[in-house]
Amino acid sequence: MDREVVERVARIARLNLTEEELEKYSIDLSEILEYFQLLDEAPESKEFNFNPVEIADILREDIPSMEIPANELLKKMKTYDDFIRGPRIS
Amino acid sequence: MSSRFSLKDLEKLNSRYSIFTSLTSEKEVDAEFVFSAKDNLASKDFETRAGSKILEGYAPGFDATPIKKMRKAGGFLAGKTNMDEFGFGTFSTNSAYGIPKNPFDLNRSCGGSSGGAACIAAIIEDHVALGVSTGGSIVCPASFCGVFGISPTYGRVSRYGLVDYGNSLDKVGILSAKAANLTKYLPIIAGKDPKDPTSCVQPEMRKNLRKIKSVAIPKEAIEGISKGVMESFRSALDVLKSMSIDVEYVNMPSLKYAIPAYYVIATSEASTNLARYCGMRYGQQDGDLALKFDDYFSSIRSKYFGDEAKRRILLGTFTRMVGYADRYYNKALQVREIIIVEYKNIFKTHDAIVTPTMPFVSPRFDEISKMSALQSYKADFLTVPPNISGTPHLSVPCGYSDGMPVGMQFIADHWNEDLLLSAATEWEKAFDIRHPEVKL
Amino acid sequence: MRIGLEVHVQLPTKSKMFCSCPTTGADAPNTHICPTCLGMPGSRPSLNKKALELGLTIAKMLKCTIPETTWFSRKTYFYPDLCKHFQITQYDTPIGEKGIYYLGKKPIRITRVHLEEDPGKTKRIGDGSSLIDYNRSGIPLVEIVTEPDLSSPAEARQFLSELLTEIRYTIDLPEDGERSVRCDCNISVGTERCEVKNVTGLKNVERCLTFEAIRQTKVLKAGKTIERETRHFDEERKVTMPARKKEFEADYGYIGEPDLGIFHIASIAENIKLRESPLNMAVRFQKDYELDEKTAKQIITTSMKMAELFEKIVKISDTQTAKTWITGTISAYWKEFEPTAEEKTKDLISIISEFYVKKITDTECNIKLKALMTGKDPAEITETSSDLDKLINSFLDENQSILADYRKNDKAANRIIGSVMKQTGGKYSSADIVAATKRLIDIRL
Repeated sequence: MDREVVERVARIARLNLTEEELEKYSIDLSEILEYFQLLDEAPESKEFNFNPVEIADILREDIPSMEIPANELLKKMKTYDDFIRGPRIS
Repeated sequence: MSSRFSLKDLEKLNSRYSIFTSLTSEKEVDAEFVFSAKDNLASKDFETRAGSKILEGYAPGFDATPIKKMRKAGGFLAGKTNMDEFGFGTFSTNSAYGIPKNPFDLNRSCGGSSGGAACIAAIIEDHVALGVSTGGSIVCPASFCGVFGISPTYGRVSRYGLVDYGNSLDKVGILSAKAANLTKYLPIIAGKDPKDPTSCVQPEMRKNLRKIKSVAIPKEAIEGISKGVMESFRSALDVLKSMSIDVEYVNMPSLKYAIPAYYVIATSEASTNLARYCGMRYGQQDGDLALKFDDYFSSIRSKYFGDEAKRRILLGTFTRMVGYADRYYNKALQVREIIIVEYKNIFKTHDAIVTPTMPFVSPRFDEISKMSALQSYKADFLTVPPNISGTPHLSVPCGYSDGMPVGMQFIADHWNEDLLLSAATEWEKAFDIRHPEVKL
Repeated sequence: MRIGLEVHVQLPTKSKMFCSCPTTGADAPNTHICPTCLGMPGSRPSLNKKALELGLTIAKMLKCTIPETTWFSRKTYFYPDLCKHFQITQYDTPIGEKGIYYLGKKPIRITRVHLEEDPGKTKRIGDGSSLIDYNRSGIPLVEIVTEPDLSSPAEARQFLSELLTEIRYTIDLPEDGERSVRCDCNISVGTERCEVKNVTGLKNVERCLTFEAIRQTKVLKAGKTIERETRHFDEERKVTMPARKKEFEADYGYIGEPDLGIFHIASIAENIKLRESPLNMAVRFQKDYELDEKTAKQIITTSMKMAELFEKIVKISDTQTAKTWITGTISAYWKEFEPTAEEKTKDLISIISEFYVKKITDTECNIKLKALMTGKDPAEITETSSDLDKLINSFLDENQSILADYRKNDKAANRIIGSVMKQTGGKYSSADIVAATKRLIDIRL
């Protein structure tokens, strides 16, 4: 995995990497991905699941309720006038 | 029945072994029992940091379901145990809050990522420690610290309140020096919880524990094992045979794909789970809000994530990117199915599978610092297969090599925790467990 | 010109898509929030059954192919209003595909229908930072994607209007207020298309498409090429602007959502019974009750519930009686009546029954209906009503020709209405006058 790809992936993942980190991770990830080539040899399967046991048809009834009062949750957040503060959007 | 428990030594133990990230200030308590919880389980009275700097200050004000259930059963939560950041690690060396030290040898690792849990379980005989496993993070530290550790079937224990590493891989389980604690407390934390849909398909846990009569050993699982571990393992097999358990060797060719498949699925899921950490709403929130949001997020994430967290985020982002997802993420899901099918086949004719838990005894910290990332990933080759397949598995202390504990792993089919609990109970009768010498 | 729309409609559930927070009635920002819709570490989603059923109802309404199994996926991107920095949506298994919707006779192909969660709402403030309200975070959305089969901005608006009318009726979607409709609009005048994201409301959709059509045409006329790009619509200035070229990339990196599992939806979908659509009902009314198109449409657009009432009344009397009272008194006071309509329907029908078997006169029937529907005192109504009736009746006596004119064009009634209003100078409400006039004319005819 060359530096360019690592840089691109880092941008997508919102990580600023130093020169050293870029160097280090390029080496690590190349080594790891080379090992992962084993997957290419593995047989294919028509089946796949997102869980190792079948999780199916678990639904919740449409009944509104709130366990924790909203102001409890907001206590530790940066707020202003009932809104939650965030960084600049444009 | 309520008893009085002394907690006065915990602080001293903590300074020496770095067991806890948060600890009660109580010196004495009346309770049915005392327990600890890994720091990635949300708790009302302590911060929940999952071993990461980025979650410093996170106190969500609700209990994770397993903690809620333990409290309801009369347990007192003494503290949150130290762990690798978000569960990323095999030696608990990736914690932002100190590194837990092995009570058998202070220069060696407790294992990971539930290192603190295994440590306190080894030191205090009656202690019940809640741990979490994704790729082996309960049985590995159990093995290195010479205690019992059970990781139940995926979906057996509610994950509501667990800070996510891999949603299709995480399981909450128990570590203790006493097998009886596993038998007693696993049913307490297990059960359907509507807040975690993945816990809602389980059949009820069997109350009468069936005995294991036959075990299989995959040939692939005894290659690349250290001499010391192999000696203990062979003696342990003799003990099993003396318990009238049939031992047979089998082939499991899919095992060699387990590590790559596991790390692809785990890091793909983890990289999405960790996207939310951005300096807003909880944890570290000290950034400059005048920054454009992408810059704000990047600056906080780069500052507060540890090295291994960054590595796994990069890896897991890559494996699900357009152009790569088919080869890595989607292929890994298929490989998981193949491994599960192979396990099910073996379980048709055997009650359980046994292997050593780890390929070596706990390494020294200087040895660990020389390991590359890939080398430490490969150290998980025995624990990853049951974890990726969601099968319940147990580690029992089965020997000592140069004074360090060796663990033996039992793996059963989905939902058959009872076989493992009976194995632990029977094993405890047949084997002399050593406890670490701890002089305060 | 080819236009395709991605329509986002908030589903009228009581609780959110993946948590139990209420979806309406928040009296301040950040009051309907919980660990799940805030994406707090340790929280977990669970799927709202009603949201799934409503989504499937819409998929069925649009005649989509519904798969055996469906699941959800994580779409990862970074923005302050998206708490988990991934949206739980559907990627490779939408709940419906390859449907069709007829705009009059023109078929508009529906590419897919799927479910997803709404993010929160952000606004920017003076010092450059932002403020976010997460009440909207986690509200269930259905996304309906069309092929680029629409040919003009006006047609796109017409499509949205009719589609929403049908959806409103099919799943009881409230008319206005808290739930809004948002569209991503795709338009190509030449060969390359542009996408305008997140346009709110039908008027803005038409405006933004009109602007885009003109913009693209100008570019092509100048001999240049259209760049395929994403744009935003500025509601105040009514123009589309290019979205900033992203310095930071997004790769959604879809993976399945393991926390929810899979859903076997074919059988749920099969058991869903669709209500008759308003357009179909209008056609049927003309046929079954020999109503003219105008009257049929009038009844149905006033209220589907009133249309249902019309049919109930026909059953206990006849078409003419039902028509008289529905288009007269009942229409006039329907708005006031609607909230309590369900409990009072039985009483209303008995009143008309009494009239039909001649137990009570038309005047008495009118008074009783008005009293029931408005809650006003019958005695009070009697007084005003009989006075008004007398006035109108005397006018009709003096101007018999109006009846003949009315047969040709019902606007003839306006002469009476206008005259009575002038004469009485605001003593009676226009609703009362109109209702009484129509009723009295009908009776004479």
